[in-house]
Amino acid sequence: MNETLFTPQKIFITRDSESLPLTQRILKNLSQIKVEYVQDPQDLIEEIQISRDSIGEGKKYLLITRQRGHYVKPCPCTPHYVGCNYFIINADLNCPLDCSYCILQAYLDNPLITVHADTDKMWKHLDDFLQKNRGRLLRIGTGELGDSLALDPITERSTELISYFSTRSNAFFELKTKTANIKNLLELKPPENVVIAWSINSRQMAFTEELGAPDIKGRLEAARLVSRSGYRVAFHFDPLILYQGWEQGYAEVIEELTAGIDQKKIAWISLGSLRFPPSLKAVIQKRFPQTKITHQEFIKGRDGKLRYPKPVRLWLYGKVVEFLKNAGAESISIYFCMESEDVWQEILKKTIRGKKEVERLLTLPLGDR
Amino acid sequence: MKVRKISLDDVDIKDERFRFSYHFNLDTFLLSIKKIGLANPLVVTIRDHGFVLVTGWKRLFACKELSFSPFPVFVLEQDDDLKAFLFSLYENLTHRDFDLLEKAEILQKLNKYIHDERQIVKEYLPLLRIPATLSYLDLYIKISRLEARWKRVIYEKKMSLPSVELLMEFDAAERDLLLPLILPVGQNKQRQILEDLIQLSKKEEKSPKDILNSQGIRSTLQSEKLSPPQKAEQVRRLLSKESHPFLSDLKESFDASLKRAHLSKEVKVESSSFFEDGEFSVSFNLRDEQDFHERLVKLQKLVSDKDFFSLFKRIPDE
Repeated sequence: MNETLFTPQKIFITRDSESLPLTQRILKNLSQIKVEYVQDPQDLIEEIQISRDSIGEGKKYLLITRQRGHYVKPCPCTPHYVGCNYFIINADLNCPLDCSYCILQAYLDNPLITVHADTDKMWKHLDDFLQKNRGRLLRIGTGELGDSLALDPITERSTELISYFSTRSNAFFELKTKTANIKNLLELKPPENVVIAWSINSRQMAFTEELGAPDIKGRLEAARLVSRSGYRVAFHFDPLILYQGWEQGYAEVIEELTAGIDQKKIAWISLGSLRFPPSLKAVIQKRFPQTKITHQEFIKGRDGKLRYPKPVRLWLYGKVVEFLKNAGAESISIYFCMESEDVWQEILKKTIRGKKEVERLLTLPLGDR
Repeated sequence: MKVRKISLDDVDIKDERFRFSYHFNLDTFLLSIKKIGLANPLVVTIRDHGFVLVTGWKRLFACKELSFSPFPVFVLEQDDDLKAFLFSLYENLTHRDFDLLEKAEILQKLNKYIHDERQIVKEYLPLLRIPATLSYLDLYIKISRLEARWKRVIYEKKMSLPSVELLMEFDAAERDLLLPLILPVGQNKQRQILEDLIQLSKKEEKSPKDILNSQGIRSTLQSEKLSPPQKAEQVRRLLSKESHPFLSDLKESFDASLKRAHLSKEVKVESSSFFEDGEFSVSFNLRDEQDFHERLVKLQKLVSDKDFFSLFKRIPDE
């Protein structure tokens, strides 16, 4: 299994993070990389922001600092569509992979690959959060503002997080990745409430749009190994992208997925179609001039983001759900990311009245869904 | 600075090293000078060949038009061109904002004087209210190199930065072809034309030149029956339809269904924006029972139109 190793050109460390255990661990794992200590990362961030390709430039460096805000936040989702009550842990920011459609290109002010190393504060925030929500079964993960496992070979964060959540029964903890960085996971005993999820696309879209990420075969092989070792796994077909030959492309990957992985181990599958704020379109076209994903027809959705017209989305989802059913995946919980109630109704025949209902659906024990 | 009186001929107006305003309206300056003379002296500096204007181009051209000479000037004793240029920049900043073309000219000149482009970005882009990135510096310098006729269009049509940014994606020959489409329309339609043309060009893998020279567009532009705004509007619609075939078709089918139902002007049926909500709204006015009855009968026709209700199930041709 080929791991995706992030090797920054340089590591910047804020003075107040110098002695933290996670900082020391990263330095040990990246002992050959040049290090510079900074008082305040803002000057560095501003220097990178000036660059012609600040996003690409930021991916060359690693910043180790403290989390200045809160570690646990509700997933921002999008207004006017159905959310899923997901919570995010802001441990690492940004991602060394370079996906053309990545929302982070328009979302984050800080373009540097950033590790928040004050883990004591993270545990404290998580303890408080889980204690406050002790009567509720939650879904929480690290894969919203970065790839959950892309930095794992150097941070080894997954080991600590999985151990932590193994004793917190009121949460499903999800690690979401496009990588095959599973070495650390395989060395642990898989807890019931930990889900390892992969972002999946058709082979062609993975090849042309997800630069630096392992191919689909590599991702599915990693998922197979992880599920065989006892973990629950999940898959996110997000973003589903229209292109010449998309039906065959998605049918093939679904066939491969369902053939190789025990469906009883699949906690959920999410579907979302390509969507992005209008400002991201110019960024995509500039950073990825060869991409064709922005050439389709888009409408401005209720949330102001560009997305395929609804009849097109229904067609796309309808086909993908059909492929899943044909592959015998009927019992797996499928949900939509940032879609409307009527799309749920039309495609999944489920009447959804808000995000609490989605939360309830996805936190039911697997056999009860 | 010393004050002197000089005549128009003493100023070398061909030396534009400190100039960044090229498009302006002199009317108010002419009126002001006619009424009260030149209240604020121009600022000049001395170079080998004589006086070079530092600030006051509008006032100078107004004086020239009125043959108002000699006139008072301040003489700036500054041998360093960058410092004299910055004098002009900061002096103007005290009393006005700069337009897009002036900002482009300022940055192009600073780029000649200052070799460290990051310094320009950090010091001067925020001053000009431009996001401090090298990409924006590149864009404004590209704008400063646009053909003079396009600069005139940008000034006169008050083209927005996003539209100008789109315009820069075309080469000079393509921009020539775009002129009759951009000149007669307002800001929103300018942007729409440019966006649709770029979109279509990428999607169809055809050059913008080939698209603009296609039969449909060429015959519209050559039509003797249509006025320039009508031609531009027709081409805008053509481009919109070709770059958004699915949505255009949906909209046309929607309109056709309403037409088949012969709804009078008093009955309005509207879809949600881009059909996203899957809902219609129906509104009508009435004065009496008969009006009410007539409206309902017409709406009944729409209810029996299966094509109308299948609109939302439509799938696009691949």
